[in-house]
Amino acid sequence: MQWTKRDTKQYLPEKEYVDTVLIPIISFDPASDNKMTKEAFQRELNQVFATLIEKEFKGRIFLSPEYYYLTNQHESEIPRVNQWVEHFQKQPFEHVFLFTFDAKWKKYESDLNGHLLWIPGIADGDLQSTETQSFVKEQVKQVNELIQAYW
Amino acid sequence: MSDKQRVSRRQFLNYTLTGVGGFMAAGMLAPMVRFAIDPVLTPQAAGEFHSVAPVEEITNEPQRFEWQVEQVDAWYESKVQKTAWVYRNKDDEIVALSPICTHLGCTVGWASNQEYPNQFYCPCHGGRYTKDGVNVPGTPPTAPLPVYKTKVQENMLYLGETQSRQGA
Repeated sequence: MQWTKRDTKQYLPEKEYVDTVLIPIISFDPASDNKMTKEAFQRELNQVFATLIEKEFKGRIFLSPEYYYLTNQHESEIPRVNQWVEHFQKQPFEHVFLFTFDAKWKKYESDLNGHLLWIPGIADGDLQSTETQSFVKEQVKQVNELIQAYW
Repeated sequence: MSDKQRVSRRQFLNYTLTGVGGFMAAGMLAPMVRFAIDPVLTPQAAGEFHSVAPVEEITNEPQRFEWQVEQVDAWYESKVQKTAWVYRNKDDEIVALSPICTHLGCTVGWASNQEYPNQFYCPCHGGRYTKDGVNVPGTPPTAPLPVYKTKVQENMLYLGETQSRQGA
């Protein structure tokens, strides 16, 4: 399910079956010229990943709107992330996954109220190239298995 | 001046008014007619077939094939990836099943659960389907997996739209 009118309409009566939420956590810093391209690429990659995971588990995973934060502001973001998690848990969603390519979250993992899904991703590349696509597909498969392990 | 060609003032006015009136009527009717028959004129995308796989690759065991389709949603055009489970049944006919679980739309896998090696299994809520795509009673799905329309041309398998089925 996605955060769209059509999917939320389908979600509400079938709530009991959709017990997992995936929140993409994406960093960006519009003040920095040298990070911009990389961060934009990571954002696109995150969206590709998230939609592929959602497509595979449409009936059980709800894909949250993306959570954006300014790069390297992890500590101050923790209360806000947890607030998101808390609101999703009110639905109730039993499993909350925070999906990110930003390794720095690893350090604060225990402060977060959801399961942190950090994967290395790719630093830079071309989303259209076949290598990237097969790489992403392979990784998505692994992430899917990881998510299933929690069910 | 010959009398033959003479047009009276009254006749002249009649001709011009009819002509102008006719033009105006045609101008108003043309768009109406065009709107009325418009659905007939737009190209039908739904009936299209897409090449999916060479026929010799298809075995008795269901295999997953993927292909891309241009999809137009209102004003938004996008590339959508389609998937099918394809195999030959006992009568040597090609069967192509949609992998979308009829329960809530997850993607089912063939023999993906060790306990059910000869069934399609949905990882979300344990929905199961037999090899022909019919849902196993007692599991969440209430309808069989939809089948794709198939077509074979020059040793290539082409798949069209899906048809949902009523069943168990």
